[in-house]
Amino acid sequence: MQVLQSCWKSAARTDRGKVRKRNEDSVLDQPERGVWLVADGMGGHQNGALASRLIVEEVAELVPHDDLDQQVKQVRQALHVVNRRLGYEVTVTADQPDAVMGSTVVALIGDQERAVCLWAGDSRCYLWRNQRLYQLSRDHSLLQQLIHEDQMDPQEAARHPSANALTRAVGAHEQLVLEILEFSVQPGDTLLLCSDGLYQAVSAGSISHALGLISPAAAVEYLFSHALSGPARDNISAVVMRR
Amino acid sequence: MDSALETPDSPAGTQLAGKSAKTISTTAPQSSELPEVLNNRYRIERLLGVGGMGAVYRARDLLREQYGDPDPYVALKTLNEEFAEYPDANALLYSEFALTSRLRHSNVIRFYAFNVDRTSQRAFMTMELLKGPTLDHLISERQEGLPWLEFRQIAIPLLEALHASHSLGVLHGDIKPSNVMLTADGLRLFDYGLGEPLQGLLPGLPRLSRKRIAAWTPRYAALELLDGGELTEAADLYAVAVILYELISGHHPYSRLTAKQAKCMEQGETLDKPENLPKHCWPTLKAALAFDEQDRQTTVAELLASFNHQPISLLQRLLGRTA
Repeated sequence: MQVLQSCWKSAARTDRGKVRKRNEDSVLDQPERGVWLVADGMGGHQNGALASRLIVEEVAELVPHDDLDQQVKQVRQALHVVNRRLGYEVTVTADQPDAVMGSTVVALIGDQERAVCLWAGDSRCYLWRNQRLYQLSRDHSLLQQLIHEDQMDPQEAARHPSANALTRAVGAHEQLVLEILEFSVQPGDTLLLCSDGLYQAVSAGSISHALGLISPAAAVEYLFSHALSGPARDNISAVVMRR
Repeated sequence: MDSALETPDSPAGTQLAGKSAKTISTTAPQSSELPEVLNNRYRIERLLGVGGMGAVYRARDLLREQYGDPDPYVALKTLNEEFAEYPDANALLYSEFALTSRLRHSNVIRFYAFNVDRTSQRAFMTMELLKGPTLDHLISERQEGLPWLEFRQIAIPLLEALHASHSLGVLHGDIKPSNVMLTADGLRLFDYGLGEPLQGLLPGLPRLSRKRIAAWTPRYAALELLDGGELTEAADLYAVAVILYELISGHHPYSRLTAKQAKCMEQGETLDKPENLPKHCWPTLKAALAFDEQDRQTTVAELLASFNHQPISLLQRLLGRTA
C-alpha cells in the first residue's frame, strides 16, 4: 500500500446545501488505499442519511489489499451486503410497510495503472484527461432510460413526472446490479465522484475548469464555491482524485 | 476504458431543475441530531447497523480510555428520530433495557447501561461491542448451504440463546440473520428492540404496544404478527426456523416471500427437506415452519433436541453389538 500513497492525491467534501434539513450524502476519501466513494441516501426521516453512511462505513472498514481486483471484489461484496441489510433485513413498521431506505453509490478503486469505477443510481464519475472532460458513468434513472432505451427526446423525457426516479440503487431491489467500468490510468488523470446535487448546480464547463486546477483540494474548493453560490437545493458532495 | 473515452463530451448538468425524487420527506418535525459525544463519555465513532426503530453505533468510552482500558469500545443504541419524537420514546428504550438486562446467557449479547444524554435528552443504551460476521453475511457467501456439522455449530447455540431467553420470560420479536453474529468467542443473539416480556413478567414496565408500533422484518415474521397478532414464543420459533432452513439449504424456505404471500401461494405444500439436513430433524423443522400458529406443533426445545440427537447408524449398532 506504500506505493499507492505516492500515486494518488485526493480531496473530498460534502455539504447539506441551503434548503435540505439534513445531509443524506456520505463520502469516503482513502487515497492511501486507492478507494473513494460518494453515496446519496434516500428515505424518510433520517433513513437516507443512515443508508449512505452505512455504505461508507462498510467500505471504509474493509481490510486493505494490494491487489486491485481483490479490492474491487471486496467493495462489491460489501455493497451487496448493505443491499441485503437495507432491502430485506430491515425492520419495517405497519404504518410504513414500504418505507424506503436506500442510497446511490459511485466508487472508484485505483492503483498505479488501472482504476475501476462502479455505480448504481445517479451519482456520477467524471474523468478529466488531456484538457477534456468525460462522463464515465451513466445515470440509472428513468430519464436516462427514456432517452436511451425508448429513444425519447431529452427535453420531452425531462418532462416525465418521475424523470428523476432511480432505476437502480443500493437497497432498492432484491438483487443489486452494479455497473462496472475498468480503465487504464495515465499520470495527470483527474477524476470526480459527485452526487446529483453537485452536477445539477455546476455546469460541465465549470467542472472541467475545476478539474484542471493545480490540486484536488483546489478543485473541490472551486466546485463548492460555485455550487453554494446558487440556490443549493440539494445536498452537495464531491471527491476529486488525481493520479 | 478507452471505450468510455469515445463517449462525446457530455454536459454535466441535465435540464432538470427542482427537487430530486430521492428525498421523500422534508416535513419531519425538527428533532435533535445525535451529538458526537454523549454525556461527555461516549464518542460516537461509526454506524454499525440500522433498523426500523433504532440505530447502533460503535462508541469509544472516554472514561474507560482515561483509565487505560486497551479496548474501550461499546455498542451504543439510540432510537431513530421518528421514534425519538414519541413522548415516551425514552421509556420505550428503557423497557428494552429492563427486559434484556435480565438475560444471562453466553450466546446472548451483554447489556451494560441505560442513559439519557443530558444535552439532547436522547436516551441510549450501551452494550458489548460484537465483532464478526452476521448470519446474513454467511448466507450471502454460502449459497450452496452449510454442511450439517458446520450448520449444527451455529444452530445449537442460536437455539440455546432463544430457549434461554424464553425461559427467562423474554420474547425476541425480530429474529433474523442480521441479528445473529458469529464472534471470536461464540455466537451472539442481539437486538431485542421488539422484544416483549412473557405474560405476567415485569408487570410495571412500559410495554411496546404492538397496536401502536407494529414492526417486523417481512421475510422472517410469522403470519400472526403480520395479521396484527400478539408476539408469542411460536412467532420467534417461526423466525428462527426460517433462518435455520436458509443456513442449511442456502435459500429462504418460501422464496423470500412473506408468510402471508407464501401461504396464499400454498408454498408450504412443496417445502422440501434441505439436502444437508438429516432425516430425523426434518419433521420438527418443517412443523416450526408452519404458517398458522396452531399448526406449529413444536417448540424451540424440541428443535434443539432434534439437532442435538445423533441417531446411531446401522454400522455403529452392529459395531456396538460386536464390541
